[in-house]
Formats: sequence, structure tokens, C-alpha cells
Amino acid sequence: MLTRWDDVDRMFQAMDVFRNRMNRLFTDFDRGWGLMPEQAVIAGWPRTNLYDAGDHLEVRVELPGITAQDLNVRVQGNSLEISGERKSLTPEGYSVHRQERGEAGFSRRFTLPVEVQADQVEAVLQNGILSLRLPKAESARPRKIEIKTE
Amino acid sequence: MSERMNIVTREENSPELTRQGVVITPLVDIFENDEEILLFADLPGVRQENLSVNLENNSLTIAGSRTLETRNQALFEEFGDAEYRRVFSMPQGIDTETVKAELKDGVLRLHLPKSEALKPRQIEVKAG
Repeated sequence: MLTRWDDVDRMFQAMDVFRNRMNRLFTDFDRGWGLMPEQAVIAGWPRTNLYDAGDHLEVRVELPGITAQDLNVRVQGNSLEISGERKSLTPEGYSVHRQERGEAGFSRRFTLPVEVQADQVEAVLQNGILSLRLPKAESARPRKIEIKTE
Repeated sequence: MSERMNIVTREENSPELTRQGVVITPLVDIFENDEEILLFADLPGVRQENLSVNLENNSLTIAGSRTLETRNQALFEEFGDAEYRRVFSMPQGIDTETVKAELKDGVLRLHLPKSEALKPRQIEVKAG
């Protein structure tokens, strides 16, 4: 029997916690691999964002610890491929206590929604994030339509 | 119904809530040799000014945040603004004065030198 408002309050709080957890389900799943080292390298690695900025596309890729020399970016038409290799991470003469960061090679291919000008792609690697600027092909750019009045 | 909503939402409006967003546990590698403990942590997108490494009461806290500066329309997004946070308990005998930290290519490299007392020592055996 609920006799005090406290109890009601608590009951709703419990539901609230449950609701929040349901809301977080997907994000938790997404970053859950941080806690499961044996599954650290998942199919979707490296994680990538794609933005549409009108006349160009913008791609961001999470690539911690990867230098420009170890990274390959290939663009052709509307396909983008990012591949590379993370060098062996164990320093010499050290014993390993814990190893969660993966060290395998990786490769990921995307089909872009539009054709891009492959020769004008700019790539910057900074703080472990690769930023690509992919200008859209002339035919794929948004065009302002002039409206005529008669 | 509105009263119920008040009860449900009150918790979220409470002033104690000081930050929101995703908190990520960064992946780390920890190595050790006779001289030091070496820790690597993946912190992609974190700038030096947004990273703090605290050593206090034998606990080591790595905390950082990143913001992706983009206002363009996302076609798909697999990562976003986030906060990184991880706490380790430190063994005794770390020389806290000489701890070194570098941040390069989104990876934090932390050198935790052992104090003299903790380093392995070869004992000379004398013939009596």
C-alpha cells in the first residue's frame, strides 16, 4: 500500500531510471566496446561522420594514434576508401599490463551520395581526427533557380 | 497527468545536474618496465587545453572533452561531442614529481616513473 507521497515519488523515480536506460540503450551499445577489450575492433571501425555542406561533403573519422604516413585515402567518383595501419604499439622492453587499444590494419569503404571532384579533396589529420573536404562534382551541386516574373 | 509529469521530470531539472552528454571510457594500454609505468590512452579529438590529468590520493584521473565544430547537416554520424573520463588507482611508489604526459595524434602518453625505493635492485653477494 502506498501511504506517503515519498513512495509515489520513489516509484516514479524508478520508472524514470528505467526510461533513461531505455533511451540510452543504443549509445551504450555503441560505446560499450570500450569496456570489452576482446571486441575492441568492431566492423564499423574507424567511426565516421558524414556531413552535407551544400557545395561539398565533409567527412570526419576518428583515428587516434595514426600518423599521416600510415593512412591512405582514395576517392573515385562517389566511392571513398579509408585504410591504414596502426603500428605495433608495444614498446620494447616493457611488459604488458593491459592492452585494450587495437593494433590491426583497418579499411573502410563508403559510397557517397553524390559524385565528388577527386582531385580537389582536402584532408587534414589533427588530434587524431581526420577531416576530409570533398567538393561535389559540378552536376551534383545545389543550384539556385531564378524565378522569373512576367 | 501534469502533476505526474512534474514528479517524473523533477529529477532532471534538479540543479545538481551540471553536465550532460556522452561520457566515454577511453581505451588504454598499460606497460611496465623497471623504470616506469607507461600508459597510453586513446583520446581522439581532445585538444591539449581540454585535457586534464590529476594525481591525487593514489588515484589517477584522466578527463578530457571534445567538441566537433560543424554545423552542417549530418547524413550519418557515428561519433559526436563527448567527455572522456577514466580513473585508475595508482600503486604505491610512483614518483609523482616527475610524471610526464604528452598528447600526440589524439593519444595521451603518460610516463609514471617509479621512485628509487621501488626499482629492482641487484644485491651483491660478498664472499665472507
